[in-house]
Amino acid sequence: MSPADPPDDADDLLAAEYVLGVLDARARRDAARRAEVDGAFAARVRDWEARLSPLNAAYPEVALPDLLLRIEARLFPARPRRRWVWAAGGVLAAGLALAVVLWPQPVPQARLVAGELVVSVRLQAGLLDLRRSGPSAGEDRDYQLWAIGADGVPRSLGLLRGESLTVPTDLQPGVTLAISLEPLGGAPGALPTGPVLASAVLGPG
Amino acid sequence: MRLPALSGGSRPPAGTPRLSDETASDLIQRVAQHDRAAFRALYALTAPKLAGVLTRMLKDRSEVEDAMQEVYVRIWQRAGQFSADRGSAMGWLVAVARNLALDRLRARPPQGARLAGEDPLALIPDPAVGVEARLAAAGQARRILGCLDEQEPDRAEALRGAYLVGLSYQDLAERHGIPLNTMRTWLRRGLQRLRECLER
Repeated sequence: MSPADPPDDADDLLAAEYVLGVLDARARRDAARRAEVDGAFAARVRDWEARLSPLNAAYPEVALPDLLLRIEARLFPARPRRRWVWAAGGVLAAGLALAVVLWPQPVPQARLVAGELVVSVRLQAGLLDLRRSGPSAGEDRDYQLWAIGADGVPRSLGLLRGESLTVPTDLQPGVTLAISLEPLGGAPGALPTGPVLASAVLGPG
Repeated sequence: MRLPALSGGSRPPAGTPRLSDETASDLIQRVAQHDRAAFRALYALTAPKLAGVLTRMLKDRSEVEDAMQEVYVRIWQRAGQFSADRGSAMGWLVAVARNLALDRLRARPPQGARLAGEDPLALIPDPAVGVEARLAAAGQARRILGCLDEQEPDRAEALRGAYLVGLSYQDLAERHGIPLNTMRTWLRRGLQRLRECLER
């Protein structure tokens, strides 16, 4: 970097390295978090994405098995099947409904992944069971777990300090779970203040 | 606007319709409104390309299938963050896929042994010529290729390898047999030159 370079050149290079993809896990995670909270940095990231995007044409098209149903099962769990059962009518419906009740129900679960941080969530018997692997939040930070329902308003489920946590809950499959990085003790108000690191829908197992 | 080329070296799977960036942009905005039909259409039109991105970067087939599902879950969840006046729709989708692949690559254990055994760049058929031929139509693409050509060949190849297959500074340093910090300085200079060239 020459002395003539603008002082914010380091930021621009960091954005370039982030988009190019050369950073190691920690630096990459830090840059991603910064892009979520620092609008100027996020704009630099977008500029570099646009500069390098012509290279995207070099990616080939590849045929995979159709994954749409599996994706939809993760995003929109269960409901359509039950509706169909009730619509079927008569004895058949009763039989099917019984089958639905007796059929082993999948355990609703979710995986929240942000780089090396992985939080696995399972909902069983009214208890939300969380397991964390990967880095801790750091000395003056906490991970905070949120549930975002149909109204779009995040509600805190608590802080995730150790490697596991179990909280009683009335959450249903389909709710979105999110993890944010907050100051020690959690967000001071009712809403997240730090970057949202990962989110996932609580879906069927 | 028509995309210059959605396909790369291999032929697109039969029956994959062409997708304009306007269509993709419209679909993403409808997905942001939780329109499931739009989501299905977006998947049908973009899955082969995003599968191509993930295949080139992650290589392992079962991981690619798992990552594909996560990519489209993210697209559903983050569609509201897409803004048509800030860039191309296809570019946004590819960025979602690349970012997920890069997160997974960096979470893997160090890959010195793997790199010694195989050459990730070998998976790009003839990078210099191949990419160029495919991009010849688009002015913007010509510019970045022209700017890559102004770099030393080694450096241009390192930039392409990093972007297309997700090589880290560490991977690149091992490939070129130079210390990590030297690689970092060398490649940063390349990025600065690239920016200067594109802004000319």
